[in-house]
Amino acid sequence: MTDTPILKPLKTWSHLATRRRKPSEYEIVSTNLHYTTDNPDAPFELSRDLPISQWFLQNRNASPVHHPDWNAFRDPDEMVYRTYNMLQDGAETYVNGLLGQFSARGHDAMLETSWATTLARLYTPLRYLFHTLQMGSAYLVQIAPSSTISNCAVYQSADSLRWLTHTAYRTRELAQSFPELGFATAERQAWEEDAAWQGFRELVEKALVAYDWAENFTAFNLVVRPAVEEAILRGLGQSGRHNGDTLLGMLCDAQLADTQRHRRWTAALVQMALTQEGNQEVLKGWIAKWEPLADAAIDAYCAALPDAPDAGSQARSAVRALRSILGL
Amino acid sequence: MPMLERADWYDIARDTNWTPKYVSQEALFPDVMTGAQGVPMAQWQSYDEPYKTSYPEYVRVQREKDAGAYSVKAALERSNIFASADPGWHSILKAHYGSLAVGEYAAMSGEARMVRFGQAPGMRNMATFGMLDENRHAQLQLYYPHDLVSKDRQFDWAQKAYHTNEWAAIAVRHTLDDLFMARSATETAIMLTFAFETGFTNMQFLGLAADAAETGDYTFASLVSSIQTDESRHAQIGGPALEVLIANGRKAEAQKLVDVAIARTWRLFAILTGPSMDYYTPIEHRKQSFKEFMQEWIVGQFERSLIELGLDLPWYWDKMIAEFEFQHHAYHLGLWFWRKTLWWNPAAAVTPECRAWLEEKYPGWNDTFGKCWDVITDNLLAGREDLTHPETLPVLCNMSQIPICAIPGNGWNVKDYPLDYEGRTYHFNSEIDRWVFEQDPVRYRDHMSLVDRFLAGEIQPPTLAGALAYMGLSPAEMGDDAHKYAWADAFRPDPLAKSAA
Repeated sequence: MTDTPILKPLKTWSHLATRRRKPSEYEIVSTNLHYTTDNPDAPFELSRDLPISQWFLQNRNASPVHHPDWNAFRDPDEMVYRTYNMLQDGAETYVNGLLGQFSARGHDAMLETSWATTLARLYTPLRYLFHTLQMGSAYLVQIAPSSTISNCAVYQSADSLRWLTHTAYRTRELAQSFPELGFATAERQAWEEDAAWQGFRELVEKALVAYDWAENFTAFNLVVRPAVEEAILRGLGQSGRHNGDTLLGMLCDAQLADTQRHRRWTAALVQMALTQEGNQEVLKGWIAKWEPLADAAIDAYCAALPDAPDAGSQARSAVRALRSILGL
Repeated sequence: MPMLERADWYDIARDTNWTPKYVSQEALFPDVMTGAQGVPMAQWQSYDEPYKTSYPEYVRVQREKDAGAYSVKAALERSNIFASADPGWHSILKAHYGSLAVGEYAAMSGEARMVRFGQAPGMRNMATFGMLDENRHAQLQLYYPHDLVSKDRQFDWAQKAYHTNEWAAIAVRHTLDDLFMARSATETAIMLTFAFETGFTNMQFLGLAADAAETGDYTFASLVSSIQTDESRHAQIGGPALEVLIANGRKAEAQKLVDVAIARTWRLFAILTGPSMDYYTPIEHRKQSFKEFMQEWIVGQFERSLIELGLDLPWYWDKMIAEFEFQHHAYHLGLWFWRKTLWWNPAAAVTPECRAWLEEKYPGWNDTFGKCWDVITDNLLAGREDLTHPETLPVLCNMSQIPICAIPGNGWNVKDYPLDYEGRTYHFNSEIDRWVFEQDPVRYRDHMSLVDRFLAGEIQPPTLAGALAYMGLSPAEMGDDAHKYAWADAFRPDPLAKSAA
């Protein structure tokens, strides 16, 4: 006991102390928080052969995408809980203002019934799709190999609930203006049966069972989400503007603001993965697996959009451009 | 048209279950992660969360809450509260942050499990807020103690404890992994939110908030009471899940999960909150005894919510209530005795005045625990601090991972409750711990307690120094008596001798 080193006072957590700069609030509260990654053979302080231990060993520890130190990942936005709420409270105040102004102006009463029919078919069933995004990101929260990745997924999951909430709100408003069109009652049937949705439904059902953490990330953040954003948020928004539905376009744009943030951390994580040999092939292999499903989803949905003839091709090239910039 | 109220559209936002077509229901909700106890998805449609909120309300309210919590911290930053607080209070902060901050982060993963694998859409949405809440709690409880690492190296353990093999860290990991990290969504709803949060977090967060306000630590008081406002919301995820299980003929399964969870949670709070309330909090600032809190919150309130849900009281309820009298005193004695193995400095809190308080709150204390403290006090007065440290290993409970202990002295009831299972002998602190093991031996059988590891030769060198190194404790971090034994002076017959000590 006598030859043990004397420890100096700390300026920050010991695990950050070797860095020669002052840590940000983000680093102080976000880094190295998953203890279940510490022991590579046993995630939990229980028997090692439990099915749920095997689940983590297989889907997290044995992922074909590898890096010696995932804990080094940093969200480029350095988002923390309190800044997330400040940001999104402001964003919701804006959306609330939109909803209030358009409602006061009698917006829905001015919509053509034919467009309202399109909304019942192509807009309000979207809550199912948004909810799968919420679920998919929540899976990444619990399976990601570092807390800095999990935190990005937390806010992304919550953002998806945000979009779902806007959709539910609009669904009720539209049901009041167009009681005969099946708003608030027929969405599940559309989601489960309408040809326009089946591509997305197949894509997300399959992506939700891609349980390897890195495949979940690849499928959702590099393929599914970009497809939803480009085909639906952009395509539907555009279609809305051609049919007197300014509110829908503005709502979609408000949601697209969240996706810019998602894309920044997605790019940072891809960049980090690509520093390791072998990862690019794995990611490209997964994209090759998921892209055809996403293309089919984009095509089926966009084909049904009125007054947006190029939406499908634009969405396809936009999602490819996004991946290509990342080297994928 | 006027804007809609939340109630106008709320049900639409939680009408999101669909029937999968391109993958099987079992693949989408695998039993290992969902754990629906055989209740079909359609039956979960009746799940109705009692506390309703929505995304815009959530981000607004939480922004306001954070503005409050962080502004209190900022306002008091330059105050002298920390420096002037009793060292026992510092120990509460260190024990609290080290055992909870990263645990809250783990609970975020538990909430995420419910968001992804919960069968009820209402559960999935509420757990999304719960997941955000736990993200908040981890961040707040790392941000606050981070300011203190420059003052005292033990505060590094707020971030570090869970990453070590320090024995209390093993105990808390074993408990949390069992309650939610290694549990399905349904089990998590019951064990984490209903049993752990509804039942017990009040103890740590409201009980300690009261003591903190008394002590003058308004920063901590505002922090933990703000956290509890979130807990009391997302804790309500579990109740309706229990209702669904009971309504579908799964009461026995639900009851067992509740009984296991309460048993495990009780141990954790007995060792964490018990000594904090009855010993580390300076006597003049104690609002109530730990036992009084337990009687009010657990026996008074939680018991009622169990009955209202149609559950029975756990079979061990009376045994657990009997433990309110002694278990945390035994834990406190053990913590103080093995203080070098802690990341905080336990306050003995056994001056004559403290002992009178303990005797009043726990009649018979002097004849039992007091007998041990008599010996410790005599040794200190004789200048033999060396005799107040242990020479042997404790026997650890293979369930709680805490030393097996109970009442010493004239009320002696210390006893091992062993169990032979598949050729290995396991040791337990009580019938309750042993019963938990017996409910699911496969879950626990391979785990090695710290002492098991020591005896198996996994800890080298097999000495105290080797064990401390294995636990990650450097000499600058190891616990010592919070008051540097000054309290023993109160027992010196000659007041003049005090200065010589």
